Amino acid sequence: MRSEVAIVGFGRTPYSRARPGDPVLTVDEYIAWAADLALQKAGMSKNDFDGQGLGVAHAEAAHTVNWSAAVAENLGISPTVLLRADQGGASASAMLIRAAAMIQSGIVDRVLVVGADTPLHIPSAAPGLPLSPERTRGVYWDFQGPFGVMGASAQFALVLSRYMHEHKVTPEQLGKIAVNARYHAGLHEGAIYRTPFTLQDYLDSRVLTDPIRLLDCVPIVNGGLAYVVTSAKTARTLTDRPVYLRGFGEANNYYRGSRSLPDITYTGFTQAAPQALQMAGVTQRDIQFLQPYDDYPFIAMMTIEDHGFCKKGEGGRFVEEHDLHFDGDFPMSTDGGQLSGGQPGGAIGGFMPLIESVTQLRGEAGARQVRDARIGISCGFGGIPYGRPGRSCISLVLSTEP
Amino acid sequence: MSAIVNPATGKPLPTITDLTRPFWTAAREGRLVLQKCQRCATFNFHPKPWCIECGSRDLQWTDAKPFGTIYATTTSRSVAMNFPGWQAELPVLLCLIDLDDGARMYGQVTHCKPEALHIGMRVKAYFEAISDDAGIPKFRPLQDA
Repeated sequence: MRSEVAIVGFGRTPYSRARPGDPVLTVDEYIAWAADLALQKAGMSKNDFDGQGLGVAHAEAAHTVNWSAAVAENLGISPTVLLRADQGGASASAMLIRAAAMIQSGIVDRVLVVGADTPLHIPSAAPGLPLSPERTRGVYWDFQGPFGVMGASAQFALVLSRYMHEHKVTPEQLGKIAVNARYHAGLHEGAIYRTPFTLQDYLDSRVLTDPIRLLDCVPIVNGGLAYVVTSAKTARTLTDRPVYLRGFGEANNYYRGSRSLPDITYTGFTQAAPQALQMAGVTQRDIQFLQPYDDYPFIAMMTIEDHGFCKKGEGGRFVEEHDLHFDGDFPMSTDGGQLSGGQPGGAIGGFMPLIESVTQLRGEAGARQVRDARIGISCGFGGIPYGRPGRSCISLVLSTEP
Repeated sequence: MSAIVNPATGKPLPTITDLTRPFWTAAREGRLVLQKCQRCATFNFHPKPWCIECGSRDLQWTDAKPFGTIYATTTSRSVAMNFPGWQAELPVLLCLIDLDDGARMYGQVTHCKPEALHIGMRVKAYFEAISDDAGIPKFRPLQDA
């Protein structure tokens, strides 16, 4: 399947923290806005997707019955293929793989993939932070909420505590990842928080659920993103800068060890990343940048090690020893990541690494451009299983060269 | 359906189904029961529709040993979601606990100072009623039990 499809357009709307007085857009409006940006970039119109494919990421705020078809109705597109992803932060990456398979088999030539959410306007169970109804139903919730699990930060703090027990990572090493994201956010006008902070600021930030600090956490935003993927043949008629999908790997519901008592310090990237690299015909040494799904710095660190950029357990030291800036020897989260860019809902943040990768590979990243970027890795990471770190792990190798 | 909140405690309650009722009822009565696979003997938790090791639907609720070892820890110092009832219990010592029968469970550890909480600590379950129909296991350090 290598290099038979390419991304030819992408869009990312401005994000909103929904402060008083800000305009309140619906998910439908964000989807249309992001799709408009992506179609403009691709030089296409919505009518080019009649008889083609439309992919829709799950949205917590707005989804209804037949959600993907309802989105088609709202956009006035009549596709022959609907894709819907409900893999949380792996959804954008998952739909790229599904779209590639559809295109490669000749079912469609192109797919418009959209995602948006307004988590700051989810009807909550009670006043306070967003907690959508779908997160508080089912056996998965019933055996967490009443037991004292208060959210993703606590769930991930448990994973990190075990990691620190089995391996070694310091707060300074994790803080460097957060500081790096903020540095890049300062170079990206679309990022939601752009004022730099220091490592000391990170270390001084309030411990929420140890070892997770405030500056370990993603700020939630409202927003939307979209991309257009086509056959390589069509891509070359549309742009002189197609970005090819060179390789991919995916692992869902990954366990290391037994299903009852797994080792939770490894992620599904240990399976997905080697598959992606092998399909692309490259090794870690060829990769010029990494766009991890950075909902927490230590997830980015585990992503580095589980991709084999260093040995397991040495991710912290790797971060310490490398320059993560766009012009450094290991550029990472060059758009500010989700940590400083903002997360438009747990299901939509996964568009961001993909769209930043394409931006870099097209040479359109401006002040944060990785020099001569030709090949990079983009990650999807979605969902939190009971007592483990990630339900879906997807690694994508993207390149300017087929 | 949105989350059910116990108005008296401000904390969430489970939706009890026929699948999960034996767990809640036993915990209300001060016992720990888990689904044991009759084919491969795996204890499953949280409750499953079939054994996640071997796929057998022959799971039977079985008394389990109320002891475990702490696998992972966090000390939650603020209420992160919408259940204000936790405020009164802060800091909440939340752990992943490897039960002696071989299942892993989220559980709150009490009767323990945050600085004393550590991975590898032996703990014993006790039970707290959270409604007329349901209880949950909580854990305390074994040496103090």
